[in-house]
Amino acid sequence: MSLLRVDNVDKSYGDEPVLNDVSFAMDRQQVEVIVGPSGSGKSTLLRCINRLTEIDSGEIYLDDEEIHSVDENELRRRVGMVFQDFNLFAHLTARGNITLGLREVLGLSTEEANAKADDYLDRVGLADQAKSYPAELSGGQQQRVGIARALAMDPELILFDEPTSALDPELIGEVLTVMEDLAEEGMTMLCVTHEMGFARSAADTITFLDDGEIIERGPPEQLFENPEHDRTRTFLGELTDLNR
Amino acid sequence: MEPGVLQATDWQFIFANRQTLLLGVVVTVLLTATSLTLGFALGFPAGAIEVYGDSWLASTVNTAGIVLRGTPIVVLIFLFHFGLPIPQLGTVPVIDMKLAVFVAAMLALGLRSAAYQGQVFRGSIQSISEGQLEAARSVGMSKRQAIRHVVFPQAVRRSLPGFQNEFTIVLKDTSVAIGIGLAELLTRAERLYLQPGRDTAVIEVLIVISMIYFVLTFTTNRALDYVHSRYAIPGGNS
Repeated sequence: MSLLRVDNVDKSYGDEPVLNDVSFAMDRQQVEVIVGPSGSGKSTLLRCINRLTEIDSGEIYLDDEEIHSVDENELRRRVGMVFQDFNLFAHLTARGNITLGLREVLGLSTEEANAKADDYLDRVGLADQAKSYPAELSGGQQQRVGIARALAMDPELILFDEPTSALDPELIGEVLTVMEDLAEEGMTMLCVTHEMGFARSAADTITFLDDGEIIERGPPEQLFENPEHDRTRTFLGELTDLNR
Repeated sequence: MEPGVLQATDWQFIFANRQTLLLGVVVTVLLTATSLTLGFALGFPAGAIEVYGDSWLASTVNTAGIVLRGTPIVVLIFLFHFGLPIPQLGTVPVIDMKLAVFVAAMLALGLRSAAYQGQVFRGSIQSISEGQLEAARSVGMSKRQAIRHVVFPQAVRRSLPGFQNEFTIVLKDTSVAIGIGLAELLTRAERLYLQPGRDTAVIEVLIVISMIYFVLTFTTNRALDYVHSRYAIPGGNS
């Protein structure tokens, strides 16, 4: 049974089609990387999965439950999200960013929430920054707090929306390391990213999305070495060159 | 003695009547505090409604704000004083203040302040990045929880400088209540120099009450500056 199944999803913004009959499924503990040119619908696809954006037609199943039949807050508790711009709560410390959801959504006591938050900060290498505010942290540190915030809710799946795109090049590595560790620990991850190194090493499956359609989908070796479509080859070739 | 300005006897006259002015200060401070409180109690939700309320409610609030902001404060005070059926509530002893007149002034200043405070708060809410709201929603918080725990705490901080302006404006504008005879600071000052033979003291009296208004605005603004820095977000710019 797939953890996530996306069936024939269509989405448009006004007259502009963004997703066109998108279908795929992923199992637990899988890491799926979605690549594609900007405007291809990658972010929209992620946002449809935790219902920050609503689809026009089709179905999305989490654990064999259609997500539109689940309470949206309950759905989002089970599906974490990491954002390109981090979106940390500016008025809360690193720890406070994590404990807010633990207390308000999971109902943990302050002590339980603090202990759990500190555990997760430790996991992303920020044990010593628990009391720092977002504006006092580097971009890489902020994003690691963002990952810890998502992780601490014990999600079944985490969506990564270009988590390193807003980072200075020298800060990308620390975030990718955390993501690779997560992948190794068996976290189910659906990542939109341009980091081809990460895609090659951590992804089980790569999906190439263009113009709102899945052009090609398969294991990294296949897409990098033997893509069926020229568009895939051209795009991945360009990205890989850029990453060098 | 030659009539003129800045005579020693005029200063002595003011000093002798210091209690009158002090009672005026009490009324002025009371009017400022109650008007600002009313303005906050109505303005805070008004700002939130303009951003988050359903369109009918939001446009009603918006229209009320436009009307209040577009009416001169003296006209508002007259309107409330002569137009509203405020019952005669008697007079407060010691400070010699007619309650009905006070209520009319408080409603005018308070409602107008609500219209401005609402704009301050609305702007602050809208300045908080949409992404933070989405991040709160994406851990499973309801919209209400996200607004309460993520947007409002930051919006209130960002509103403080605007509220400080509002405070200064309301405090000084309490003086327009002279138009309906409320015994606040300016009214009492005027009563002093309108006494027979005291017209030489006009400038001196006005200088003294200007200084009193200044001390009140200055000290309170400093106190609010402290609150602002005390609750500032470390490393942030608000």
